[in-house]
Amino acid sequence: MSGVILTPVEAAGPPIDMTGVLPDRLADGGRAALAGLMLVRGKGRHRLDALFDLQDGGPAGALVLRPGAAALDGVGAGMAAGEILVEGDCGAYAGSGMRGGTLIVEGDCGAFAAAEMAGGRLRVAGDAGDFLGAPLAGGTRGMSGGAVVVAGNAGDRIGERMRRGLITVHGRAGSLCGARMIAGTIAVGAACGPELGLAMRRGTILLSQAPEALPTGFVDGGANDWLFLELMRRELTDGGAWPVGFPTVGTRARRLVGDRSVQGIGEVLILSKA
Amino acid sequence: MRLNGVHIDDTFAEAFPMLGTRLVITADTPAWVQAAVLSMTGFATSVIACGCEAAVERLLPPDETPDARPGAAVLLFAMNKAELAKQVGRRVGQCVMTSPGSACYAGLHDGPTIPLGNALRYFGDGWQIAKRVGNRRYWRVPVMDGEFLCEAATAVVEGVGGGNFILLAVDRRAGLAAAQAAVMAIREVPGAILPFPGGVVRSGSKIGGKYKGMIASTNTAFCPTLRGTVPASLVPEGVESILELVIDGVSADAVAAAMRAGIGAVVGLGAAGGVVSVTAGNYGGKLGRYQFRLHEVMA
Repeated sequence: MSGVILTPVEAAGPPIDMTGVLPDRLADGGRAALAGLMLVRGKGRHRLDALFDLQDGGPAGALVLRPGAAALDGVGAGMAAGEILVEGDCGAYAGSGMRGGTLIVEGDCGAFAAAEMAGGRLRVAGDAGDFLGAPLAGGTRGMSGGAVVVAGNAGDRIGERMRRGLITVHGRAGSLCGARMIAGTIAVGAACGPELGLAMRRGTILLSQAPEALPTGFVDGGANDWLFLELMRRELTDGGAWPVGFPTVGTRARRLVGDRSVQGIGEVLILSKA
Repeated sequence: MRLNGVHIDDTFAEAFPMLGTRLVITADTPAWVQAAVLSMTGFATSVIACGCEAAVERLLPPDETPDARPGAAVLLFAMNKAELAKQVGRRVGQCVMTSPGSACYAGLHDGPTIPLGNALRYFGDGWQIAKRVGNRRYWRVPVMDGEFLCEAATAVVEGVGGGNFILLAVDRRAGLAAAQAAVMAIREVPGAILPFPGGVVRSGSKIGGKYKGMIASTNTAFCPTLRGTVPASLVPEGVESILELVIDGVSADAVAAAMRAGIGAVVGLGAAGGVVSVTAGNYGGKLGRYQFRLHEVMA
């Protein structure tokens, strides 16, 4: 069985909510089940095949989205298995609540990507918006598993209230990166915005360059060797998730510990060039 | 069976199921690896009195260790999972964590597990950090030279303990030379260890003894100095020295391969090397689940 390629019939118009358009739907009910899904666009509910042109193609069992100029929200939301490939940009909520499988976005994605993600992999070739791996609006917990790799830059509040998992941003991160973080790992290849790790309890933020000022509530623990960085480098390099700006050898890093204003023992590790 | 002039007795080694695990210990230099693993595997010759049997399986070059530093693979065996967990926790805690620059990783990942870092993390007094890398979980415990990195758990395998063979030589020098040749050969076999000092036992034992409370006592049948004194002595004329090699392995195949390698090395020296015969220790086949027949091993 080949995959299915979905191309919007009408690019102009309000965003299409892609919640429920998942590979396991294709695996369970075939193309017919997929075509009959009801999707929300603007004020109306429409059959999927009224909004998209469906063609066979792509990897077996996978969904290939070719959004063109259309805005697609909730791509891969709640996905548990399989693969979705987006040949373009995504709107908001890409991979939110994901529990497994792989979502590959060849362009940019909007806010709340990987929000409350619990498993699986999200790979974004372009930039990601705000709230990457953060809680959904009204939620209390951010990402709790899985891995996110953003090749470009990311917005504000990435990894907020994150509990487990990995977020790698090869480029810059906005403000409040790792705010209220509970655990897990965030790696940022370029500069971070202000209020890094605000109210962070545990977890690790890896940086290649020191923030302009010591983050509020953090204390400077000095430099040392951190052996786990070698394990992490090996693991992440294989998956293309070790930021380009990070050193390729050595385990030395300066450690900032915080946020002590909330009794946090999280850490910001600023990796040293060998 | 006679190989290169050495008589191979038509008997078998009797061995027992044991639970084992493999740990990978790394450090900054090979010398510090040795320091850690020698300490960790010390007083681990026999479960009878030591709680576990342990030894270095092989030394590892940096490209074979998780953190790209020199290391060693260590195998530990005990009679049950609880005892193995206790021994692993104590030995890693007292001998590896204390050794400068060390780190400890699981060497087995499939099957049921026992705590490794999960038991030692409390030493961090609340400052320890759990870190997941890929599918594995580690504990980072702050210590005085930086941080002790330890994998959270290690898998347990049902192995075999007590594989053995006994070599009878014309004198002590010939016996020791043959035993050392066997040790060198067995150390090349993956999945098997020789838990006794230098890999060799000179005080083989029999079950019980004349004194109350003795679990084991000297193997009088194989004591050359008691030939003619004890009934049923198994020491032939012309034999002055007898040494035993005890082998534990992660599987029966590993033990058999180790026995084959060791006996093969002894036979390689031949009768000209002063080895008269090779036999094995057993309890009549009534106690151990595994029997390694020497003729089948060397077939």
